[in-house]
Amino acid sequence: MSKPGGGPTAAAAAAAAQKQKALLQRVDTDIANIVDNFNLLVNIARVNDPPVRNAQESFQMEIRAARMVQAADSLLKLVSELKQTAIFSGFASLNENVERRIGEFNRLEEITDRLLERVGGEVAASLRELETHYYSSVQRTNCQ
Amino acid sequence: MNMEIDLDKLPLKRLEAIDEAGNEQFPLDIGYEEKRLNMVRRIDFSSVVEERDAKKQKNSKEAAGTQPWPWQSLVENLQVAQQELSIILDLINTVEANDAVTVAGMQRPKQLPHESLSDIVVSSATKLQRLRHLGRYFKQSSKALEQQVTRETRFYDSLIRLQQNWKVKRQHVGISVPGSESCFTIDLLHNSMTDLVLSSRSSILSTVHIDQDHAGVLTVKLPLRLCRRLSIEFPGFHSNHEQKNFLKGKMESVLHTREDEKMALTGEDVNEHVKDSHLILREMHRSIFQEQVFNLVNQKSYNYLPGVNVISMQDDCLQLSIGHGTYVSFRLLPSLEEEPNEKMNSNNQPQNRESGIRSTSSLGSETADEKSYPMDYLNFPDPASLEIFLQYLFHEGVFLKFKERRTYAPRLVMPSQPTSDGCNFLGHFCMTISHRIFSMRVMSMLEGLVARVPYLHLHYHPTWHSRISSWCLSLKVPLSILHSRRRIKPSESNDLKRGFRSHFHTKVVLNGDQINVSGEGTHEVGSLRGDFTAGCLINCYSCDLVDLPMVILQQVAGQVIHWLHEEALIIGLKVSRDFLCLWFSLDQGDKLGLVANVNAGDIRGCISWWLVFDDSSMEEGKLGATDDGERRSRKFLGNLSLETLYSTLMDLVSLSVYGGGH
Repeated sequence: MSKPGGGPTAAAAAAAAQKQKALLQRVDTDIANIVDNFNLLVNIARVNDPPVRNAQESFQMEIRAARMVQAADSLLKLVSELKQTAIFSGFASLNENVERRIGEFNRLEEITDRLLERVGGEVAASLRELETHYYSSVQRTNCQ
Repeated sequence: MNMEIDLDKLPLKRLEAIDEAGNEQFPLDIGYEEKRLNMVRRIDFSSVVEERDAKKQKNSKEAAGTQPWPWQSLVENLQVAQQELSIILDLINTVEANDAVTVAGMQRPKQLPHESLSDIVVSSATKLQRLRHLGRYFKQSSKALEQQVTRETRFYDSLIRLQQNWKVKRQHVGISVPGSESCFTIDLLHNSMTDLVLSSRSSILSTVHIDQDHAGVLTVKLPLRLCRRLSIEFPGFHSNHEQKNFLKGKMESVLHTREDEKMALTGEDVNEHVKDSHLILREMHRSIFQEQVFNLVNQKSYNYLPGVNVISMQDDCLQLSIGHGTYVSFRLLPSLEEEPNEKMNSNNQPQNRESGIRSTSSLGSETADEKSYPMDYLNFPDPASLEIFLQYLFHEGVFLKFKERRTYAPRLVMPSQPTSDGCNFLGHFCMTISHRIFSMRVMSMLEGLVARVPYLHLHYHPTWHSRISSWCLSLKVPLSILHSRRRIKPSESNDLKRGFRSHFHTKVVLNGDQINVSGEGTHEVGSLRGDFTAGCLINCYSCDLVDLPMVILQQVAGQVIHWLHEEALIIGLKVSRDFLCLWFSLDQGDKLGLVANVNAGDIRGCISWWLVFDDSSMEEGKLGATDDGERRSRKFLGNLSLETLYSTLMDLVSLSVYGGGH
């Protein structure tokens, strides 16, 4: 949809591409973090001879695990951002939905108007019938 | 104790002497053991030795005078040994502190096999414990992330569903960095409504914050104090109509749901929450709309409107006089009355029930003045229908026009430019109310008339116009008379061909406050011979409510006279018709008249009949002046039915045939 020669649409497309690239980069970074930290975690899980080194490595393991969780949380936030972008940037689908709803409400309005007309007609006919019944009733004829 | 230590740091050969010829003399190399002895000797214990000697001499001097303690020497030796040991320890600490110096010849003793295995076991156990701790940490994190995923799924699903019907906006809180918190709001204000008058309440209410509870359920808070509804009232008239509030029951159910938060949420629960949110938003949207209607009514009341006067004006109340002694008040009442155990107030709004009740109390103060207003509540239209009609007028006449202007010429609309739509809208509404009230009075009057005239039927004709009402008063000839007419003239099967009617109609149309009465049934003489034209309206009146009964009764009486005239003609009588009188020509020029007397106040019947004898010897147009003359010239027949009138007519046949003697 970008026009040749540039314009707001081209700029928007470029911004969207840039944003997509940034998001992909974030995804790659987070996944790489998870994988790398897991590898390191497995590597330092070995039992060493000097006990002093084991204490050092246990601290490193905690750090690696925390980084893995942090990367997972970052991925989750990324997913939330994507959902928000899908909700608030889908103008085509939003407009289509609005148009559809407008059509539905207009149709409901027409149906309601016709219904009201029919109800009005039935009410008028019922009123006429009731009036006729009343004036031909014994109560009314006895008054004559 | 002063101690001097002198150590060689570097194993360098020192020049011992140099002679005049420049020859250097170095000390001879000393063996390792000798070096050690020399180094040890360099530790100067001389001060300690001297002190010891001094003490010995002192003790020896004292011993010459006293007895020696048997353990004294041991104590002294131990003291000396302690001092020497302390010196050695200081030496060792100094040596250790010096990095360049290492303790030579020291090696870690080799571990025994079981010792190394135990070390490995301890290390393994420690590592295993760390790994288990990590495992628990991962499990906990996984659970938390799963819950977060579930929460966000619930929230965003609900948000998408809300977005189908409402305008959802996103606001970034703080610096826009990836993963920053976003605040969601719903804008209830339509783009075309920004030009309309908005109160501060509506402005606050137009932006609704969307919250997310700990379970991820989307919640919308309803500010109870800000939601108000439009109410139209007639002073002195309290409608039994109760405003249906679908929200109150939902609020209670939402409260119960919140109490059961500990139970796991299902999809049905989430659906219910979304529906409740829709309901709350709908209530707020309706409140904003009705406030706008009220504000516009308030604003337009400043302009001149024919027949409408402002009686009182407050923030939430406007009272107008709309003519015919009728007053109508427009009020903004709270949508929901706050209860003491109501928990749905927003957390940042302190519970204050006074403001919600204050308006009611302000209404209460006005009720004292309502006693002077007319209390004829039976003639007031249903306020609920008027509220709907007012909102309909606002929507069709004002809101849609604003919308069209913004759609087609958004830049040409000046918000300050006055329009006539609002004035027409309020004027039309007030005139409609006035018409409805007047219409009910007219109808009650017509019903009273019809109740007292048995052969008159009232039919209401809906016009589907807000300011036009129509009724039809029909006079039907009884079937028995029609049958007897056919017996008399069997050849005339079709009465219409002869122009004879079996029913007569009088139409009453109320247009605004103008009453128009149009009657049919009375024909000109020439038309009897020609073709009958149905619906020939020859009488048309405009009158007011006071004169309406008389007009109608005269019209009806005229129709009866017309009918009797036709019947008499059928029979072959010589009759003539006056306004409300039917004259029968008798022999010798006498006339017998059947006169209708209309009296709207007669409770026994509005139309009564007199029989009048017009002697040819008497002056035309005058009746006998004496009492005897009145009894001879006219006789009151009373309120007669159509059958009785017809039979009277039949009796008059013989009278006219056989002469007019009394």
